[in-house]
Amino acid sequence: MSEIKGKVLKHDSQTRIMHWIHLISFLLLGLTGIAFYWDIGIIYKIFGGPANASLVHRWTAVVFTAGPAIYILLNFERFSKFIDTISSFTKDDFNWLKTMGGYVPFLKGDIPPQDKYNAGQKMLGWLVILGCILFILTGFPMWIWRHEVPAVFLNICYTIHFWDAIIMILAVAGHFFLAAIHPKSRVEFSSMMIDGYVDAEFSAHHNEKWFNKLQQSQ
Amino acid sequence: MGIFREKDGITRRQFFKGAGMIAVTAVLAGVFAKFGIDVFAASDDYISERIAGLYTLDEKMAIRRSHKNPEILQLYKDFLSPGEVKPLSEKAHHLLHTKYGQDIPGLITELQKHQHEAA
Repeated sequence: MSEIKGKVLKHDSQTRIMHWIHLISFLLLGLTGIAFYWDIGIIYKIFGGPANASLVHRWTAVVFTAGPAIYILLNFERFSKFIDTISSFTKDDFNWLKTMGGYVPFLKGDIPPQDKYNAGQKMLGWLVILGCILFILTGFPMWIWRHEVPAVFLNICYTIHFWDAIIMILAVAGHFFLAAIHPKSRVEFSSMMIDGYVDAEFSAHHNEKWFNKLQQSQ
Repeated sequence: MGIFREKDGITRRQFFKGAGMIAVTAVLAGVFAKFGIDVFAASDDYISERIAGLYTLDEKMAIRRSHKNPEILQLYKDFLSPGEVKPLSEKAHHLLHTKYGQDIPGLITELQKHQHEAA
């Protein structure tokens, strides 16, 4: 394994740009959303008051929705491959979850070979997709239809939107920890945030199934 | 140094999964949008019916203009502007124009002053 030289292009430029757009818009939405829910004046001041924070939240939501939508339309092949990968759960994925990929200290055992994304990343992928759909479906009625829809429906939207936000913020915090801080996995950080490349040796170890396919297709 | 890349092109399975995901999302968004549009239309219908109801009620009223109301005219003749119908007479101004908010303490004082004067 240590003999494998070279780099693997894991995420191309459009994927990285979409990830950056989604990341920045998520941070802005999370920050303003937290300010609304707990009425935090200091966050309002960053945006110039609650009315401006509300405007930032709503129009950032448009970017949050349009970013991935445009990406999917322009990159249908990549999107299809992504969906195929995260929707393929094999025995290896379930066995990976049993040991949590070796990231949890007290869970020991053999770590089975993984696809382009490991079982945890696959679950995060689904969580992000479902979470974003829920954000969009509950968020826009609260903005556009708030004077027309019944109050009980708006209340359901607010409740789903809030709990969706809590789950997503926690999931993204975990994703950030594993992607940027954890010493075992942070070596992959630059593949999404900077140049798209990851060491072939790392990929052969962490994404063995995918890397084997890449090798065969070269 | 070798660079490994994914090959272009997708399999039939990948295509159906990608297209299926878009289709499911589109249907979900469509159902939701249909609900919103229906509620919007129902709200518009309700407003139209409410407007029509108010106009119908108004058309059925015997007295439809306050300045033609015989009781009001009599009130002016007998009390607010004795002997004539004079809207905005001084008494009408004081009694019919109310105050609110921060002006209320001043109004109470003024009314009490008039009460003392009358006594």
